[in-house]
Amino acid sequence: MSNKKNYGMVIDTRVCVGCSACVYACKQENHVPEGYCRDWVVQETGGEYPKLTMENRSERCQHCENAPCVTYCPTRASHYAEDGTVQINRSLCTGCKACMAACPYDARYVHPEGYVDKCSLCKHRIEQGLETACVSICPTGSLHLVDFNNMDQKTKTLLSGKVVYRQKEHAGTEPGLQWISASNKHGA
Amino acid sequence: MLATAVNEIVSTKLNPNVVPHLHIWEWHIPLYLFLGGIAGGLLVITSIMIVLKRKFGIGPRDQGDGCPCLAVRIGSILSPTLLGIGMLFLFLDLAHPLYVWAFYTTIQPTSPMSAGSWILLAFFPLAILQAMLVNKRQLRSFNIEPVNKVIDWTENHMTIVALVNAHIGVGIGIYTGILLSFFSARPLWSSSILGMLFLVSGISAAAALMLLLAPKDEKPVYSMIDANAIWIEIMTVGLFVLGGLTGSANTHGAMMHLVTGDVNLAGMSYMFWFWGIFVGAGLVVPLLLEFLEAAGVHIKFPNVAPVMVLLGGLVLRFLIVFAGQTYHTFM
Ligand code: SF4
Ligand code: SF4
Repeated sequence: MSNKKNYGMVIDTRVCVGCSACVYACKQENHVPEGYCRDWVVQETGGEYPKLTMENRSERCQHCENAPCVTYCPTRASHYAEDGTVQINRSLCTGCKACMAACPYDARYVHPEGYVDKCSLCKHRIEQGLETACVSICPTGSLHLVDFNNMDQKTKTLLSGKVVYRQKEHAGTEPGLQWISASNKHGA
Repeated sequence: MLATAVNEIVSTKLNPNVVPHLHIWEWHIPLYLFLGGIAGGLLVITSIMIVLKRKFGIGPRDQGDGCPCLAVRIGSILSPTLLGIGMLFLFLDLAHPLYVWAFYTTIQPTSPMSAGSWILLAFFPLAILQAMLVNKRQLRSFNIEPVNKVIDWTENHMTIVALVNAHIGVGIGIYTGILLSFFSARPLWSSSILGMLFLVSGISAAAALMLLLAPKDEKPVYSMIDANAIWIEIMTVGLFVLGGLTGSANTHGAMMHLVTGDVNLAGMSYMFWFWGIFVGAGLVVPLLLEFLEAAGVHIKFPNVAPVMVLLGGLVLRFLIVFAGQTYHTFM
C-alpha cells in the first residue's frame, strides 16, 4: 500500500457501446460549454472486409506522469496534483496555449472564458470519495477509476491476461489511462 | 480482388480550434516571430558594425562625436521598437491577456515560453542603452538630466555593450525558432534547425531593412551582408527540408505536407507559397539581383530585392506556424 495516490483509468473497450453517456455526464457535471467536450467517444474500425474489427472507446486527458503540458506551461498553471492527476489553475492561466501545442493527445481546449480547460478526472468528486461523473454514469461498466499505486483485486482481475494498451507511449508521456483492447477473445 | 485494409477512426470530439486540426495560433504569432527575428537581426548587425568600426576601422564613416553611421543609428532604435511591437502581438494572442503578469511570477526553465518571456525582458535594457549611445549627440541636445547621466556613465563602454548585444541578438533570433522546436507533438516544428533558419532569416531581413533605410553611400555593405545571409539561409532551408524528408514517418509526412502540400493559405497551396514565394521570390531572385548589383549591373529598382527579402521572411513564419498546425498531431 502506498499513501501517495496515482489516479488514472482503466477503460474496457470490450463492453463499450459508444453511447456517449460519459460525454454528457461530464458536460453537466463540469459545466462544459456548448460545442466543447472534455471527453469524447471514438469508434475505430480496422481490418479487411469482411473480416473487420471494431472498437469503441471513451477518451480524455491521459493525466500523464511525464506531461508535456506541465513541462511547457510558463506559469505553473498546468501542474501535477498530489493525487497523480494533472490539473489547471485557472487563476494563473494566461491562455498562451503552449500546453495545447504540447499535448500529443489534443486533450485540451480554450474555454470561451479565457483559460485552457480539460478533463480534471473530477478531482472535486474524488476528494469527496465519489467516482468521476463518467464512471458513475457508464451503463456497461466500461470505465473504471483506478489508483494505480493501490490497485484493488477487482481491477487486477479485470486486467489479468488481457491485451491492454496505452496510447502513444512512444511520446514518452507515461499516460495514466489504460485500455483493455476489444481484440481480446471472448471469455479471456 | 485486391484486398484493402482499413483503419478508420470516427470521433465525437468537437472542440473548436482543436478539430479537425489544431488552430490555436493565427496571424499574431507569425508576425511576432517575424518582428522578433528582425529585432534580433538588427541588434546583431548594428552591434557588429559598431565593434568592427571601433576595433578595426572597418565600415561606413562615423558621424562624429562617437556616433556611428546613420543606418546603425536607425537600426539600433528599430530593434527594441520592433520587438516591442512584436510582443504586443504576443500579448494580444493570449486568451487571457490580463493575466500576463503570471509569466513573471516564476521561472520555468523547461518551458520555452517562460524562458523566452525572461529573455525578452533582459533584451530591452541593453538594446535601449545601445540605441541611446549611438544617438547620444541628438539625445544630449534635449538636455534631460537622467538621460545625460546614463550616457556619461556608459559612453566609454559602447564596444562592450555592442559585444554583449551581438550575442543577445543571436539568442533572440534562435529563440524565435526553437520556441516551436520544443513541441514534439507537432512533427513539422520539432526540428532544432528551425532555430538556425529563423536566425539567418532574421539577419537577412534585418539587413534588407537597413539596406532600404541606409543613405546611398552606406548601402553596399548591407547589400553584401544580405546576400551572404540569403546564401546561408538557402543552405539552411535545404537542410531543414532534407532533415524532414529523411526523418521518421511523422517528420517525413509533416515536411511533405509543407513542401508538396495542397492545403490552401490565402488562396494558394502551401507548395506554391513555399517554393514560389518563399524560396523563389524571397531568396533566389533577391540573391540574384544583389549579386548582379554587386557585379556592377545597373538595377533599375534597387529597392525591389530588399522588399522581396522582407516579404519572404514574413511568408516563412506564416507557413511554418500554419503548416505545423494543419498537419496531424504526433502519432
Ligand atoms: S493528455 Fe495532454 S493534457 Fe493530459 S496530461 Fe497528457 S499532455 Fe497534459
Ligand atoms: S494556456 Fe494556461 S495552462 Fe496552458 S501553458 Fe499557457 S498558462 Fe499554462
